[in-house]
Amino acid sequence: MSTSTASKRGSAEGKSASGGFFAKIILFIRQVIDELRKVVRPTRDELVNYTLALIVFLALIMAFVVGLDQLIVRLISWVFGG
Amino acid sequence: MLTVFGRAFRTPDLRNKILFTLAIIAIFRLGSHVPAPGISYQAVQACQKAASGNQSLLGLANLFSGGALLQLSIFALGIMPYITSTIIVQLLTVVIPKFEQLKKEGQAGQTKMTQYTRYLTIALAILQSSTLVTAVHNNPQSLLGNAPACANIMSDGAMPTLIIMVLTLTAGTGLIMWLGEQVTEKGVGQGMSILILTSVAAQVPAQIWSIREQGWGKFFLVVAMGLVILTVVVYVENSVRRIPVQYAKRMIGRRMYGGTSTYIPLKVNMANVIPIIFASSLLSLPVMVAQFTNPQTSTNPADWAVWVYNNLARSDHPSYMIVYTLLVLFFTFFYVSITYQPDEVADGLKQSGSFIPGVRAGKATAQYINYVLTRITVGGAIYLAILALIPLIAFALVGANQNFPFGGASILILVGVGLDTVKQIDSKLQQHHYEGFLR
Repeated sequence: MSTSTASKRGSAEGKSASGGFFAKIILFIRQVIDELRKVVRPTRDELVNYTLALIVFLALIMAFVVGLDQLIVRLISWVFGG
Repeated sequence: MLTVFGRAFRTPDLRNKILFTLAIIAIFRLGSHVPAPGISYQAVQACQKAASGNQSLLGLANLFSGGALLQLSIFALGIMPYITSTIIVQLLTVVIPKFEQLKKEGQAGQTKMTQYTRYLTIALAILQSSTLVTAVHNNPQSLLGNAPACANIMSDGAMPTLIIMVLTLTAGTGLIMWLGEQVTEKGVGQGMSILILTSVAAQVPAQIWSIREQGWGKFFLVVAMGLVILTVVVYVENSVRRIPVQYAKRMIGRRMYGGTSTYIPLKVNMANVIPIIFASSLLSLPVMVAQFTNPQTSTNPADWAVWVYNNLARSDHPSYMIVYTLLVLFFTFFYVSITYQPDEVADGLKQSGSFIPGVRAGKATAQYINYVLTRITVGGAIYLAILALIPLIAFALVGANQNFPFGGASILILVGVGLDTVKQIDSKLQQHHYEGFLR
């Protein structure tokens, strides 16, 4: 069943497994690999840009929250007495 | 890079949204520090100083509440009840026909479901706050640590005070839920995720910094690992399976329109970090229950509680990892199946007169989309499970687990939610004809 009824794209797509349980599983795994091959992956530029933007964003958020916390702790301990 | 972040601020519409979100975050953090009534602030501070590092049992719950839980502040429960009730209501849509019907009703049904989610959140909040308050009342030291300061955290143990505490914590949870919904509606990003991001972001820097005590080498190793995970997440989140779609040609006046081909994007990991958030918050529940039902440290805890402590309370334990992985796999498929409806997509295609080349319209299209979706999601689920496991194993191997408990989940939440939000800001920027900062 490996190459017998290969479609135009040479995929396992749309085939029905006539065999037993394990044949079905193997077919499914082949189909999964097939579909994953068709996935469009990000280019190097995209990857770098997204990663940098994310690092900057996370750094900003963390700085904001940590800074805010310092202020709030000071405020709260002033109100409730430290 | 930074100038574009500045540009985001120069777009009036977007600036308002970002400022709104930041204001909500500020309110959220403020509430996480204000002590609940009946709690002695000085005692809590002294207790926290003395008992640092002794918080492994409620660690994850404490992390998700941004440290508010062990401070016993008015937001002590954090967003956990809201997350839990969201999970439960979504699970119910599969199990109970009436909920399924509601879901199909569209907007009106959705409103009804939101309403149920809110009611359930309040119910869960009452439950959790009363268990928390009883546990603190009966034996604060088993919960917070053995330092003497922890024993007299509650200044007044009378019944009315306890009731007021339960009410305050419940109201706090309600307020958090409202804040989250406001962010979703008027701010940037998804409210629930943003609030978790805030909680985690408040804890992680200090935790990472404390690894430095074990040596700079380890510190840089952990930071480098974080960056690697970040890159992998960015890579997979941008991987898309494109199903080609052909639009039908039509004449409007003398012009020919359509006939162009586009595609339906199917992300490899459509569920984002939600499975990881769900799985880790679900896993922290039994630990919390075990902790709360065990008021005395001196008496022997029940057998099941011992089992929970030994197996589920530590992120480097094999059985924790197995359960965690299974939950992540399950929630990935589950979440994708309830959020993405191939039938609706197929209907939409049919109505707009477009089709997938080589596939018949209607049912066959839905089947085809479902076929691709299931197989893509297998890849996505395995990726998520591996991603969830790598940091657990790695941190345990490096030995950074004591200072950075649940480092894996924290990094994933930071990166996942961060990427989501960055993308949303970017797409809003592009609506204003700016080039955005992602391309």
